[in-house]
Amino acid sequence: MAACVVLLLAGATVCVALSEAGAGSLWRHAYHAPVVLAALRWGMGGVLAALAAVLLYSPFVLPALERQGPSPAVLEGLVTLALVLGVGVSSGALAAGFRRERARHDTLVAVQRAVDGETPLELTLVRLRACLEARLGGAVGLAVRDGERVALAGAAVLAPGSPAVRVLATGAPLYIADLGGGGRPRRAFVAPLVGRGGTTGALVLERRDDVGPGERRALLALAAHVGLALENARLAARQRRFAEELAEKVTAATRHVVEMDRLKSDFVAIASHELRTPLTALQGFSELLATRRFAPSELARVGAIMNAETERLGRIVADFLDLARLERGLAPPLRRMRVDAGAVVSEAVEVLRRARTTHALEFFCQAPLPAIEADPDALDRVVKNLIGNAVKYSPIGSCVRVAARPQSAPPGVEITVEDEGPGIAEADLARVFEPYFRTAGGARVAVGAGLGLAVVKSLVDAHGGSIHAQNVAPHGTRMTLILPALP
Amino acid sequence: MRALEHAYTPSRAGLFDATPVPALAALAAAWSLAALILPAPAARGIGLAAAHGGLLGTALAWTAAERPRERWAPLAAALLLGAATLSARLLPLGALAYLAVPAWLLWRHHGWWGNGLRHVTATLAGALFGLLLGLHLLVNAALTLGFHVRPPRAADFVAWFAYDLGANVLAAEMFFRAGLFVRAHRRWSFTAAAALSTAASVARYLVDPLLPHTAEILAGATFYLGLLGAGNCWLLARHGSLGGPLAAGLIFFAAYRLLAR
Repeated sequence: MAACVVLLLAGATVCVALSEAGAGSLWRHAYHAPVVLAALRWGMGGVLAALAAVLLYSPFVLPALERQGPSPAVLEGLVTLALVLGVGVSSGALAAGFRRERARHDTLVAVQRAVDGETPLELTLVRLRACLEARLGGAVGLAVRDGERVALAGAAVLAPGSPAVRVLATGAPLYIADLGGGGRPRRAFVAPLVGRGGTTGALVLERRDDVGPGERRALLALAAHVGLALENARLAARQRRFAEELAEKVTAATRHVVEMDRLKSDFVAIASHELRTPLTALQGFSELLATRRFAPSELARVGAIMNAETERLGRIVADFLDLARLERGLAPPLRRMRVDAGAVVSEAVEVLRRARTTHALEFFCQAPLPAIEADPDALDRVVKNLIGNAVKYSPIGSCVRVAARPQSAPPGVEITVEDEGPGIAEADLARVFEPYFRTAGGARVAVGAGLGLAVVKSLVDAHGGSIHAQNVAPHGTRMTLILPALP
Repeated sequence: MRALEHAYTPSRAGLFDATPVPALAALAAAWSLAALILPAPAARGIGLAAAHGGLLGTALAWTAAERPRERWAPLAAALLLGAATLSARLLPLGALAYLAVPAWLLWRHHGWWGNGLRHVTATLAGALFGLLLGLHLLVNAALTLGFHVRPPRAADFVAWFAYDLGANVLAAEMFFRAGLFVRAHRRWSFTAAAALSTAASVARYLVDPLLPHTAEILAGATFYLGLLGAGNCWLLARHGSLGGPLAAGLIFFAAYRLLAR
C-alpha cells in the first residue's frame, strides 16, 4: 500500500510536470487519490501523504506565483494545495475516528469473551491481559482485588507506593508522562476497575507512545467495562457455586431424612419388640395369677418377676420420654447436689455384679476423687447404661472394667467403662451417640432401639461433662466420661 | 511492569533544572567583552564559539545532571570550539579541527549515540529524511527564488561539513533534541514537546547572523527548519538515537551549502 501511495504521488507529479499547463494542470487533482488512499489505510497517515503532495506540488505553484502573480492558474494551484491538505486532514481524522470506534467495539467484544467461562481469576486475568495487549499497543497489567489478596497479571508483585496501588487506594485514574528508569520516556496510564463495591482493581497501560486525553477517556470507559465484566463473571461463578452447594445440601438433607425415616421405622419395630417382651411376661404372669393358685413362695417369685419386668418397662418408657425431650432440644430434668462419684459408680457396679453372672465386673477407684455436682439418679443411670452396653456387646465370660480417677486439667472425675468386645468401626465412633444409630455389628449381636447412648450423652451434656468412645488394643471399646469437679 | 512492581515518586525537577547558569553567564560576558574591545571578525569568532559552546555545554549539563562537573561544560565546549574556529581561520583545512568536538563528546558520553541495529536504522532513516528535504529545498529554491545548484570546491565543502558536524548541526541537535525535546517529552505529549523544540530551533536559526535576512529566505528557513526540527523530534522519539537527527541535519545542511545565487 505504501508503494502504491508513493507511485501515485510520483505519477501525479510527473504528469503535472509534463503537462503544458504547469500549476494549472488538471493532473493536479490526481494528488487527492494517494491522500485519500493513505487516510483510508493509515488514518492520520493521510496527513503525511497530504504533506508529501503539498511538497511535491508546491514547486509548480510557487514559481508560477513569483512569475505571474495571482493569476487564475496560480490561484487554482493554491486552492488545490489547500484542498489536498484539507482532504488529508479531514479524511485522515474521519478514518482514524472510524478505526478507533471499530477497535473499541472489537476490544469490548474480546474482553467479554476473555472473561467468559468458568476459569479461576488468575487465568481470566492472563487471558484478559493478552487480549488487551494485542489491542492497546503497549504493555498491559491488571491488579484485581480478590478478598484480602490482589490477583495480578503482568507482574510478579505489587509494590507498595506503585501507581497501581495508588489507584486502588484512591479510585482516581492516574497518568504518568514518564515512569523513569532511564532511556526514552515511558508513559503509563492507570485506570480504576469499578465494581459494585467501589474500586475493585486497576488496569495499567505502559508504552513509549503518548496516551492522549481522548485515549485516556476511552481507557477509562474500557476499564469500567472490564470491571463490570469481571464483577459479573465473579457473580455468575458465585451463583453457580451457591447453586451447587444448595443442591449438595438438599441431596444430603434428603439422604438424612430417608435415613431418619428408616431408623424410625427400625425404632418402631424395635420399640414394639422391646415393649412387647415385658408386656408379654406381665400378661402371662397376670393370667397365671388370675387362673391358678400359687404357694406363697411361688407367689413371691412371680411378684418379683413382674416387678422386674415393670421396672424394665418403666426404663424403656423413661428412655422414650428422655428422647422426646432431647429431640425437642430440652435438657433432661436434673436434681443436682454434691455427689461422691466414686460411691455412686461403686454402688452401680455392685448392683449389676449381683444381677449379672455372665461377665466379670471389675471396679477400680483412684481415691480421693474430687466432689462433683450431679443428679445421683442420672449418674447411676449413665453408669448402668454404659456397663449394660459393655456387657451386651462383649462375649460371655469376658471382663468389663470400670474405673474412676481424678482429673487435674480441667479438674474433674474421669469414669471409664472398658469391655473386651469386637470394638466399633472407626467411622462409627463419632456416631454412636446419635439417636437411633446402631452399628452394623451391634445390630447383629443384640436387639436395641439405639437410644441408650443418646440418652447418656444428653445427661452428660446436661452435667457440663463430655463423653467419647474409642477402641482399645487388642480388641474392645472404652467409653470415657468426664464430669467437672466442684470449684 | 514498572507501574505495578515499582514505587513511583513524581519528579519535582523543572524543565530548566541543572542549567549551568554561571558558565553561560561567563560565556555571555566574554562575548560582550569581545564585541566591545576586539575587531569584528575576532568578536564574531568568539561569539560563534560561545553560542555553540553554550548550547553544547547546556545539553551536556542537562543530560548528565547528576554529574556536577558538567556545570562548567559550556566553557570547555566553547574553548574547544574557539580553538577550532581559530584553526579554521588560520590554517588550510584547519576547519577539520571542528571534528575534535564530536570526538570530545564521544569520549565523555558515548552512551548518547545509541548502538546496534536500532542506531543504524535510525541513522539511515534520518539520512533519507534529510536527503528528501534537501532535494526539495534545492528544487524549490532553484525554481522559486532563482538559486543555482553550484557544487563548491572540495576544500570548502569539507570545511563546511566539518563545521556542521562539529558545531552547527551537532550543537543544535544536542541542545534542541537530546536536551530540550527529551526533557519536554518526559513531561508533555510528543506534539507539545516537538512544537517547543522545533520553535526554539527555528528561532535559533532565524537569529543566526550568518542567515541572510530577506523575507523569502526567512520564510523558507522557517518552513524547512520547522520540518527538519519536527522530523528530527519524531526520529529521536521513534528510535531513541541521536544518529537519525544528526544524519538528517548534516545532509540537509549539505544540500543547503550547494545553493548559490
